[in-house]
Amino acid sequence: MEQALYITRIQQLEYVREGFARIYFGAEFCERLIPSLDDVSTIAAFVQKRSLALTLMTPYVTNAGLDRLVLLLDAVRDMGMQVEVVFNDWGVLDLLRKEYPEFVPVMGRLLNKTKRGPRIMNIVDKLPGTCRNYYESCVLSVGAACDFLKQRSVYRVECDNQLQGLRLENTDPAIRKSLYIPYVFISTTRFCLTAGCDDPERTDFVGVDSCARECRNYMFQLDNQVMSVPLLRKGNAMFYVNDTIPETLADGQYDRIVVQPEIPV
Amino acid sequence: MKILSPLDSAAEVDELVDAGAGEFYCGLLDERWHESYPVISINRRPAGKGHFRSFADLGEAVRRAHDRGASVYFTLNEHYYTDEQYMLLWHYIDGAIEAGIDAFIVTDFGLIAALQERNYQIPLHCSTGTTVFNRRSISFFKELGVANITLPRHLSVEELRELSTHASGVDLTVFILNSRCVNVDGFCTFQHGLAGPEILPMYRNACMLPFKVSGVKLNDSGQAQALPADSPQVERQKLWERVHVDDHPCGVCALFDLYDMGIGSVKIVGRGNPQERKLKDIQFVSSLLEQVQQGDCDRDCYLKHARSLYGSVYGRECRRFMCYYPELL
Repeated sequence: MEQALYITRIQQLEYVREGFARIYFGAEFCERLIPSLDDVSTIAAFVQKRSLALTLMTPYVTNAGLDRLVLLLDAVRDMGMQVEVVFNDWGVLDLLRKEYPEFVPVMGRLLNKTKRGPRIMNIVDKLPGTCRNYYESCVLSVGAACDFLKQRSVYRVECDNQLQGLRLENTDPAIRKSLYIPYVFISTTRFCLTAGCDDPERTDFVGVDSCARECRNYMFQLDNQVMSVPLLRKGNAMFYVNDTIPETLADGQYDRIVVQPEIPV
Repeated sequence: MKILSPLDSAAEVDELVDAGAGEFYCGLLDERWHESYPVISINRRPAGKGHFRSFADLGEAVRRAHDRGASVYFTLNEHYYTDEQYMLLWHYIDGAIEAGIDAFIVTDFGLIAALQERNYQIPLHCSTGTTVFNRRSISFFKELGVANITLPRHLSVEELRELSTHASGVDLTVFILNSRCVNVDGFCTFQHGLAGPEILPMYRNACMLPFKVSGVKLNDSGQAQALPADSPQVERQKLWERVHVDDHPCGVCALFDLYDMGIGSVKIVGRGNPQERKLKDIQFVSSLLEQVQQGDCDRDCYLKHARSLYGSVYGRECRRFMCYYPELL
C-alpha cells in the first residue's frame, strides 16, 4: 500500500514523515489557489532530493484557470519530471491527453460522483438493498465507464472515505483506486462565502467575485442535528471528517492511501 | 434563442408553447423505478411531482410538441448510475425513444459511454451536471458527439461570453430563472429527497437546512481564535440557507447579453411547478426575449425594463443574493 501526503502549501512539508512515498500538491477546488511556479519548483526540488513521487492536484477551471494550468504544466514538463496530474475537470483531461501525454492522468474525487452527504447515515440501515447498493457503489461498477476512462489513458481514480462505505469489488481491477483520509469532500461552489467575508458590504452577495484568499484564514463549522457529523467549510468547499479506516482497505481494493493532514484548501 | 421550459404532462404542452416555450425538458418516474429505488431518483427529482407517469403520456406530449414545432428532451441526468441500475435504465431509455423524444439530457460519463457502446443514434445533451466551465470541456464533449451543453450556474456573464466564442458546432444553454443552487450542481454530493416531505430535514436539500454556524480565524502561526457568533464572517455563511430554489431567483438582466453572444437556449427551472407558475415564468422571459430580438432598445433601456417587469410580475424588488448575474445589478 503506497502512502501519499496531500498538502496545499509549502509550509505543510513539515508533515512529511518516513513512509510517505508520494506528495500530492496543488489545488482541487479553486483555480485561484493553483500554486505558483515558484511553489511547484520548491516541491519538485523537495521530492527529487528525497526520491519521492509527485502528484499535481488541479481544480475545475474556467478559461482563465486553464491558461494558468498551461503555464504550470509547461514548467513541470521543462523540469523533466514524471508526474501524475489529478484532473477534476474533463477539459483538463482533454488538455493533458492532447498537450501533455507524458503526464499520468488521474480522475479526481470531484468527478467520481458518489453521494457523500452524511444524512444518509440516519437511514442507511433501513434502506432496501437496491438503494444501499447504490449509495455504496459508484460509476466504476459500469464496464462502459471503466472502458471510457481506459480509452483516455486514465488508470487511477481517487475516492473518498465516505461514511456509508464504498464497495469496489465489482470494478475493473485495471483501474487503481486511491483512498483519501480523513477529510471527505462533500460539495463546492464558485459562489464562495468565505471570499469577501471581511467586507460587511458583501454580506448579501452570492456570486463570482474577487477575494483576498480569506480561505487561508477562516474555517467554519455547520451543525444541524440531522447531519450525523459536523460539516466543515473552508473556502469554497465543504467536508466532514471520517478517520475510521474502512475494512475494504485490507481487501486490496485500494493500492494507495492519501493522507490529508489539514483540510486541503 | 429558444426558451427551454419544464414539462410534466401532455396536457401542459399547448399552453406552454403558446406562452413562448420553444423546447421542453422532462422526466419520467413511475412505480417500476420507485419500487426499486424509493429514495433515489432516475433524474435528479425526488419521487412525487415533476415527472411524467407513463410513456403513453410522454408520447402524447411529444406528438403535441412536435405538431407545434417544439422539441422534447428527456432527462436521465443523475450524477451516476450503477451497473445494477442498467437493467431498469434501458427500459426507460427504450421507452423514451419509442415515445419520440428528441434528445437525452445526461450527466454521467458512464451513461454516455454505455449509450455509445450500444450505438444509440439519438442526440445527447449535457446537463449542467457535466460542469463545463472552459473551452476544453466544450471540446471534450463535442468530440463525444454531444449536441448541446447546459452550462453551470456558476459562470459570470463575461465568462459566458468568453466561452461562447469556443462553441461552434455545439449549442449552449444557460439558466435564466429559478433554482439558483449555491453549490456547483455537478460537484455537489449531497443527496436530495432522502425521505418524503413529511420528514422535512431529510426531504429538503441540505443547503436549505438551518445550521448553527461557528467559525475560527487562524493566525499566522496557525492558532485558531473563535469568531463571535454575530461576526460578519459567520453571518455570511448563513446565506447558504437563504439562497434557494423556489424563491424566484432570476437572471433575465443577462438576456440582452446572452442573445448578443449567440446562446441557443435559456432554461427555466421548474419541473413540478404548477402549470400556472410555468406559464407566468415563460411569459415573463418570452416578453423580454421578444424585446431583445426586436432590437429597438439599447442595453441600459433593456435592463431598466427587465427589472421593472420583474417587480410587477413577481411583486418584489430585485434582490442581489437571488440574482443569477449580480454583476449586472
